[in-house]
Amino acid sequence: MNLLFLLHQTICGALAAAGFGVLFNIGFRSLPWCMVSGALALSTRTCCLEAFGWNLEASSFAAALMVGTAVLAVRKRADISQNALDVVGCIPMVPGSFAAKAILGLFALTSTDSAEAAQTLTTAVQFTVRVMFTVGAIGTGLAIPALLLRVRVSR
Amino acid sequence: MPEDESPTPALEPIAMVALDAGRLLMEAGASARSIDAIVMTFARGLGADRVDLRVGYASLAVTIGIGPNGITRMREVGHLGVNQRLDQELWHLAERVERHELTTEQARAELTRVATKTPRHSTWVMGVAVGLACAAFGRLLKVDWAGTGPVFVAAAIGQVVRRDLLGRHMNVFVCATVVAFVSSALGGLGAHWEHSQTVTMAMIASILLLVPGVPCVNAQSDIIEGHPTLGSARAVTVAVVLIFVALGLWLAQTLLSHLEIPT
Repeated sequence: MNLLFLLHQTICGALAAAGFGVLFNIGFRSLPWCMVSGALALSTRTCCLEAFGWNLEASSFAAALMVGTAVLAVRKRADISQNALDVVGCIPMVPGSFAAKAILGLFALTSTDSAEAAQTLTTAVQFTVRVMFTVGAIGTGLAIPALLLRVRVSR
Repeated sequence: MPEDESPTPALEPIAMVALDAGRLLMEAGASARSIDAIVMTFARGLGADRVDLRVGYASLAVTIGIGPNGITRMREVGHLGVNQRLDQELWHLAERVERHELTTEQARAELTRVATKTPRHSTWVMGVAVGLACAAFGRLLKVDWAGTGPVFVAAAIGQVVRRDLLGRHMNVFVCATVVAFVSSALGGLGAHWEHSQTVTMAMIASILLLVPGVPCVNAQSDIIEGHPTLGSARAVTVAVVLIFVALGLWLAQTLLSHLEIPT
């Protein structure tokens, strides 16, 4: 695995998380936690994609699971809601570009001729399915640590 | 007749204060579990014995009881945004209520203070932060360095425009289309002028500030945690926002194709 590429992805994840942290009105003192959350998400996802050869959906799930677990561990020290820290960390992994391409593909169906329509539809559906699975993987990965902890506490 | 008979607290103010706390937390972007927890904390901290909450997309309803008496009240919920500092302040207040430090009237006054006095980052700080976030997003989407600068500028301008339009109470879906059009057109034009080879991705990266990440994650956690109605409503809203964002992007692509810029 290219370590320079891993570092690039990690820094970009941290910056994106911090930027969204400001958008979500998180105080400046808590922004380093957002950066750590985003860096952890992107470094884990990149490792899974590049070193283990997993697909995007599985890598996103692993990264969300890692972020969800880490956030549970530090939530008391961070003085920031678990939900917010989870979301800012994982937001750089939300496949917004796939979603845009999927919807634009569906728009394009109205203007393409019948020869190209099948290909356009297939591509749009592929993007849609990938968006659904990736977003589902992120949500499930974030939910599992919290649900497991609560089961243990309630016993 | 019992010797230690103490006056029973009035149910109505307790219900309304608890509902207000839940409404503010929901408008700050919390999940159903958190809303349930804060309403429970406020109501019990102010003297209620029993609390049952129903969380809907546009309203909250609570039934509280003390001894043999009980009432049910409903409260409308406004636009669901994201405001983490408000979220934090509400939880700090909930801790004080839980420790029985406040009366119902004091809790109501504190809620009003928190709702009106919690600071927000200035428009320009938000613009720069969002520009930086989208530029980083762009790099993750393999936008080349020539396209990264225009993404930063386009997203920052888009955020300033968005805040201005929302301040004028424009419909959030229409606002999403307008901002998507402005940001992606600026991002695409800038990337073209900078001779970027990734104009299309630069256009997409410029609108990622509009991706509804918090409602998207909340929708799933709500469904997983037993609130399928609220979760489904959030998911439908996310889908509609994405359609309006894609419409803005499509309009910008149409504009750029008329200017003979390949996208």
